[in-house]
Amino acid sequence: MNVLALYKKSRPYSSYVIFGVLLALAPLMVNLGVLRFFHLTLIAGVVIYAIVALGLNLLMGYAGLVSLGTAAFMGVGAYLTAFFTQDLGMDFLPSIVLTVVITSILGILVGLLSLRVEGFFLAMATLAVAEILRQVFIEFTGFTNSFVGRTANFPEFFGFTMNRNQTFILLVVFLVLAMFVTQSFANSYTGRALSAMRGSEAAASAMGINIFKYRLIAFSVSTAYAGLGGALYMHFIRFTFPNVWMFTLSLMLFAVVVIGGVRSVAGTVVGAFVVFGVPDLILVNIPVIGDINGMAFVFTGVLIIVVVMYYPAGLIYIWHDIKVLVHKVRGRGKV
Amino acid sequence: MSNALLKAENLSIAFGGLKAVDDLSFEMNEGEIYGIIGPNGAGKTTAFNCITQFYRPDAGKVLFNAKEKGMIDLVGKKPHDIIGLGLVRTFQNVELIVSLSVIENLLVGAHTAFKSSLFSQILKLPKARREEEVLRKRAEAVLESLNLLHLKDMPALMQPYGIQKRIELGRTLMLNPKLIILDEPAAGLNDVETQALVQTVKDISSQYKCGILLIEHDMNFVSNVCQRICAINFGKLLAIGTPEEIKVNHDVQEAYLGKDEA
Repeated sequence: MNVLALYKKSRPYSSYVIFGVLLALAPLMVNLGVLRFFHLTLIAGVVIYAIVALGLNLLMGYAGLVSLGTAAFMGVGAYLTAFFTQDLGMDFLPSIVLTVVITSILGILVGLLSLRVEGFFLAMATLAVAEILRQVFIEFTGFTNSFVGRTANFPEFFGFTMNRNQTFILLVVFLVLAMFVTQSFANSYTGRALSAMRGSEAAASAMGINIFKYRLIAFSVSTAYAGLGGALYMHFIRFTFPNVWMFTLSLMLFAVVVIGGVRSVAGTVVGAFVVFGVPDLILVNIPVIGDINGMAFVFTGVLIIVVVMYYPAGLIYIWHDIKVLVHKVRGRGKV
Repeated sequence: MSNALLKAENLSIAFGGLKAVDDLSFEMNEGEIYGIIGPNGAGKTTAFNCITQFYRPDAGKVLFNAKEKGMIDLVGKKPHDIIGLGLVRTFQNVELIVSLSVIENLLVGAHTAFKSSLFSQILKLPKARREEEVLRKRAEAVLESLNLLHLKDMPALMQPYGIQKRIELGRTLMLNPKLIILDEPAAGLNDVETQALVQTVKDISSQYKCGILLIEHDMNFVSNVCQRICAINFGKLLAIGTPEEIKVNHDVQEAYLGKDEA
């Protein structure tokens, strides 16, 4: 019973741990033959995009800012870690740390230029930055190897190289850490300052919140998440080229936040699964629908419309409605 | 040195050709409840925004007695720097953060008291936790003094208007301000709520030992609450005095009721 009490007391963090443990069983499922080899790659993709979308949710849900440059920042992270580990021979961990630091600094620099505008204008500014970065990926051949692409290895620690399954578990660990950090960040005074800024800029500045500074913080933190996601992608997929980091990926990540649940950590993960997992895991197996070319985009598009109409706060609130319904049925209206 | 808390000197601001505030000067003392009144469009809120630096006045000074730092001219400072000097405001249309709970709204008011780094926040280091705990206690004390403690975890969004106004008042009290500026605190309240507000404002002033500057057009409310009143019209000063003096002042009557035809 003590375990249960501890679980309840430290929610939602304890739920995240349990979720992580369950997710880390996926490689075992592959070995047991329940899941197929390629399923693991798909789920790893979901995990990576969930991490990036958590950062985007901080930016959109809390700070109320829009970015369409997420994919490009992921790309920067991927190329950086490839450079550090392959060209400079660094270990995985220092490379990841450096990548995150550099991408967050890049976020500050881009923010300094683009955060003077907001709304649609900010979306356009970040889109422009993303296109510039993609051109950089193509042109800076010495660093990115252009369309030939760059390769990297599974994570290496002190001469020990992880295998695919171990790397997958490492990704899950990073996801759970990202969920922890996002939750704490959202509940911290900085998170409150972001919410205040989104709710009322006038009130926020009257309370001593420097709007520009907190916009920069939000933008930089969200870029760091993207950099981390890109670096993890590089060490799992082990190959990248410029066309991976296109505008469509940014839009899909945007869709993750909208569909899953703005301002919700669990919702973001659900959203990542729905947008990046469901089309390839489930829909492809359905006859006719599964054969449509670009079906994933159609699915995401339709879903956005449905969610915005019926669950404007995100799919995660279906869970809340189910709970209310169960209460109603059990207690006959004593909600 | 006098015990002046806030001193506006020849404050002026124009929007295009319209002089919204025109050469306005007044002075309020420490611990005083001071009112600025005027009919609709008199420039009250504009004057208010000039004091809190949401607008930058074209001319004039706003001198504020900031404890050790002496008299400071607020003009040219950023809106978010003002609160650090001990001057905090509310809004005419209640600007609560609807996505946060009642107590979180108060904690936003204590924003500048939080010092822990971003790292200790996301890692929940003991320093950040202690800081949060101390300020949460303070927020609870403030809520208690306003009889709002039972609502602390409710969403601010769902509260009735009168309660929202009280929450916003509570938010201004988080940092022991020297001066609270209230923008039309009685607007939108019914008679009972307005009566309660009179008492609340007086309680706050004595309990927290701070000056209160309020901007209103409800003459009744202002004369019940304020010790001194400054009446303005068309951005210009009409009269300064006690509520009784203001009520019988010819210019003020004319501004409120129109010119005597006889």
